[in-house]
Amino acid sequence: MHPLLASRARLGTYLLGWVPVTVMLAAMGRIQGWSWLEALALAVPLCLIAALLSLSAWFLCQALPLGNTTEGLGSHGIAWAMAASLMGGLWSGLAWSLARLGAWVPGLEALPDRVGKALPVLTGLGILLYLAALALHYLILAQERAAEAERKGADLQMLAQESELKALRAQLNPHFLFNSLNSLSALTSVDPARARQMCVLLSDFLRRSLGLGERKLVTLREELDLARAYLAIEQIRFGARLQVDWAITAATEPALLPTLLLQPLVENAIKHGIAVIPEGGTLGIATTLLDGHVVATVTNPTDPEAPAPQGLGLGLNQVRQRLLGRFGHRARFEATTEAGLHRVLLVFPLEVQP
Amino acid sequence: MKAMIVDDEDLARAVVREHLAANPDVEVVAECSNGLEALKAAALHQPDLLFLDIQMPKLDGFEVLELLEAEGRRLAVVFVTAYDQHALRAFEANAVDYLLKPFSPERFDGALAKARALGQARPPATQLATAARAGKPLERIVVKDGPKVSIVHLERLDWIQAQDDYVLLRTEGKNLMKQQTLASLDGQLEATRFIRIHRSFILNLERLVRIEQDSKEHREAVLRDGTRLPVSRAGYQRLRELWEGA
Repeated sequence: MHPLLASRARLGTYLLGWVPVTVMLAAMGRIQGWSWLEALALAVPLCLIAALLSLSAWFLCQALPLGNTTEGLGSHGIAWAMAASLMGGLWSGLAWSLARLGAWVPGLEALPDRVGKALPVLTGLGILLYLAALALHYLILAQERAAEAERKGADLQMLAQESELKALRAQLNPHFLFNSLNSLSALTSVDPARARQMCVLLSDFLRRSLGLGERKLVTLREELDLARAYLAIEQIRFGARLQVDWAITAATEPALLPTLLLQPLVENAIKHGIAVIPEGGTLGIATTLLDGHVVATVTNPTDPEAPAPQGLGLGLNQVRQRLLGRFGHRARFEATTEAGLHRVLLVFPLEVQP
Repeated sequence: MKAMIVDDEDLARAVVREHLAANPDVEVVAECSNGLEALKAAALHQPDLLFLDIQMPKLDGFEVLELLEAEGRRLAVVFVTAYDQHALRAFEANAVDYLLKPFSPERFDGALAKARALGQARPPATQLATAARAGKPLERIVVKDGPKVSIVHLERLDWIQAQDDYVLLRTEGKNLMKQQTLASLDGQLEATRFIRIHRSFILNLERLVRIEQDSKEHREAVLRDGTRLPVSRAGYQRLRELWEGA
């Protein structure tokens, strides 16, 4: 479909663009001593025809797209010149025919003679107008392509986010799983009762994470329950090295948020915090309500001798993108390391299931 | 035979201990929950065999082994890990024995038998660690500094100088010496961060302020703290390639 014919607004704007050309053409006639009637009788229909003819430039643009290099511009140039000459000739021919027809109307008897003298100028003008139309259409083409590329990019990003989420759901941290099974293997002889407890905890965690995988949005309560199940297992594995400090405001629990947003933060806090410190430490999870927003923080001690990480890791970056992807500027993500404490802060509007 | 179990998880050590109980000729002389403890205990107990976890706080398993080797300690090792595909590939390629958590008694006995048979015949720890990183550059260097172990994080390393069989590491105003060749260290560093500017020098590019040219063939790198290091023609070429490539 021709982009200018696709919408009335665009076609209107395009035709409006021809008004000054018509005025100019009429003015040229007047300068040559034509009467107003003669000048307008020629200029108005001729410009209307030119406007319609120039639309054909679109097809030439599509057939001869501009590349990124100057290669091929030579052959393109020849085609443009030929098309423009053809249009220029056609246009002046039409002017001549119009003048012939106009001669039947009283007051326009001198028109064929006047047009005959102006034919070379009209041909040149026709060529220039067509070239201008060609340039305009190339601009439109470039704009359409850019818009399409943007649309495709956005689609792709959506797809990528979707598949990322799928991968996230499918991904069960293998370290966690095998280490837990190893703890279980130890407990079977050392403490069978705890071994059984660990089996139950592990099943509980697996069931919850499989269940969450089906959905896009979950309540904060469900995310917190998953974290509780996960940390109960890690507490068996790490023993006294892992203390957990919960400070949950009940009013935040129904808040909806993208699935598995909290879990990577908790896993990170174990992996880069508790697990790298010989004596371990306290992992803090807190939520509060502030001006209709949920403020959630996950804190963990860090190895004081290791340098602070540069930028966000892949996991944190994904969390950030998914949070901002869902809530936009209404959400905030912060990750800081201060005085041996790593803290991730999420702020997002409190939205609940209707 | 004297054995040590090194793992940061109590329960993980318990499993190894339990399996070892079925082998009366193996005596567990120490259990350690991190790498630094392991180094101390090894000096004290002179073990013949090590059950060594890879992921631990402070020092990882490879670094523990590297430091033990630097002390001239020769012992048999069974690596124990839950999941590390790259390390497993490195072990397979170098015929080093390992145990995957959780493991069966049969698998454990097999690993023990193999470790006894192999003894200390295995590639050096640095080589295993390099293979286990699978192309990822080094992030830190461990150095035995008298009785102390120093961990040099690469962002804190200014430059490295070759000194015979040793390298001098310049970090936070201190000099540390490590027995290693400059070339072997150069091969493990990230090529866009650390540049061999001279036969005897590797420079952390972060520290470079400018290059000064005295005469046609004599160039010097001026660092942030004012230190001047020589830049050879080949070194200058490497810097230029990096800049032009960037």
